[in-house]
Amino acid sequence: MRVVEVILASLVIVFALAFANILAIAPTSPKYEVTELEKMGYNVLYDLDKQGLLAKFVYNKNWSDLQAALRVLLPLEVYFNLTVYYSNGTTVNEVPIFYGSIETFSTSKNVASVAYGLCGYSTMDKAVYDPRTLVLQLARG
Amino acid sequence: MVNAVYDHIIAIVVICVMFVGAVVVLPTLSVANIKAVDQQQLRNIALNLFNTMLLDTGEPINWGSIDPFNISMITRFGLASARDSTLYLLDPNKVQRLIKGNPLGELPYNAVKELLGLQGYEFTFKITPPFNVTNLDGTKIDSMHPPITLIGSTLRYAVKVSYLDGRPIPNALVEATVYYTTKDAFFILRSSASTDSLGRCIQNVTLNNQSNDIRSIIVIFRVTVANVATMVVTYTSSLVRIADINLVGETIILTRTKDTPSDNVWIVNATYITGNGDLKYLFNASAKNDKRYQLNTGAKRMWNGTYIGLSYYDPVCFVLNFWAVDSNGKGRSEIVIAGPFQNTMGYAVFDYGNSLLGYGSVRFQRSVIISGMTYIAELWLWKESP
Repeated sequence: MRVVEVILASLVIVFALAFANILAIAPTSPKYEVTELEKMGYNVLYDLDKQGLLAKFVYNKNWSDLQAALRVLLPLEVYFNLTVYYSNGTTVNEVPIFYGSIETFSTSKNVASVAYGLCGYSTMDKAVYDPRTLVLQLARG
Repeated sequence: MVNAVYDHIIAIVVICVMFVGAVVVLPTLSVANIKAVDQQQLRNIALNLFNTMLLDTGEPINWGSIDPFNISMITRFGLASARDSTLYLLDPNKVQRLIKGNPLGELPYNAVKELLGLQGYEFTFKITPPFNVTNLDGTKIDSMHPPITLIGSTLRYAVKVSYLDGRPIPNALVEATVYYTTKDAFFILRSSASTDSLGRCIQNVTLNNQSNDIRSIIVIFRVTVANVATMVVTYTSSLVRIADINLVGETIILTRTKDTPSDNVWIVNATYITGNGDLKYLFNASAKNDKRYQLNTGAKRMWNGTYIGLSYYDPVCFVLNFWAVDSNGKGRSEIVIAGPFQNTMGYAVFDYGNSLLGYGSVRFQRSVIISGMTYIAELWLWKESP
């Protein structure tokens, strides 16, 4: 009888240790990873905008150049998916602007999303108000 | 009696197993947690450090362009430009102070660590172009492996443009500005072409002179991928570095090198290429022996000239044409020299800090703008080993 008690007691302790071991797994800090990707995405869009390239690509619908610019400026292991919207919410880019595997965005635990606004563009003699919203999704491949 | 003995034996075995299990599991538990917290703390420190480096101007705000340079005057470290409030815009004068061997004074790694309060940590800071420009075989472009060959009057250049992972970039625009001199004349030619589907650009440029008349050649490549550009300065291995060209604020300062001739040297003209690829003349001497442009070859600082407003044009590369005796024994002739950014802003990776990455290092990357051109800034941080 005491053997059974000892076995039961030891099982309880073994389970407790196993549970403690589960607790020992390092936290994955998804919030931190997403914040870092958001900062990176905003940094790249901001840099392109400051150089006057972002508006040029978006209003000329030069999606291949926009994709290439994002690709050279973001780290190799970071996948991106960019969608450009009109102010009424319809999509501007008829072709997807992405790098990496598109499934990554549905399977990855840490997907960051950055929204960036462009208010318009200027020509030789006038400034045109024509807002666009860019939504850049980022995930590590 | 026998039952009691068995009970005790089993109890001892179980207690032993539990003890061994506890000895193995419990330290793992605490070490794993400590490591996770440690890593998180390291990431926080690295992020704060990177923000300080890229977003702070430092104190004094123009510390990079103070001449003569004195480390003790810097009370806070930061590389951001004070001229513009744009984020991630770096001051080229401050970036230059991180270059090892800067003739006008460098900021040593240990001094930066002290200014940043980084005792107990090590870091590596890199600034690299956003894509690779190499020789066709993938080798790095340097003075021993220039991508240019001169046969007769035909200058051939061949470069390969690829992403950082090595995949070729088709349709990259390669603009070449060729500077060359003969005994008595100086020429500039410009040509442009795009890379093919394998990322290669091979082009022939016909010069006005034959190779045996040509004394010096410099080719500056400006390669553009989707309007994001990088610059590569290349020259033939026989080129003699008469002077080091330094730009501090609005002042060009020429310093002595080991190849500086002891005879009289004059500057005949000076040109520069801006961040957006424009070619501009800085000055033209009235004669080859114009006294205003004569170098004091006996001094470390041989010449300086201040051009107010120059920095607003974002000069990336200067080319100065000298009237000097070269060491090849061909007598006095015109010789071109490029600077100051070819070691840092062009192809070469700018690397600062401890190059041996430590265990458990964390990495951050941002794109930055220097002199109107985009670069990738990278920071690695780790704890010093005890």
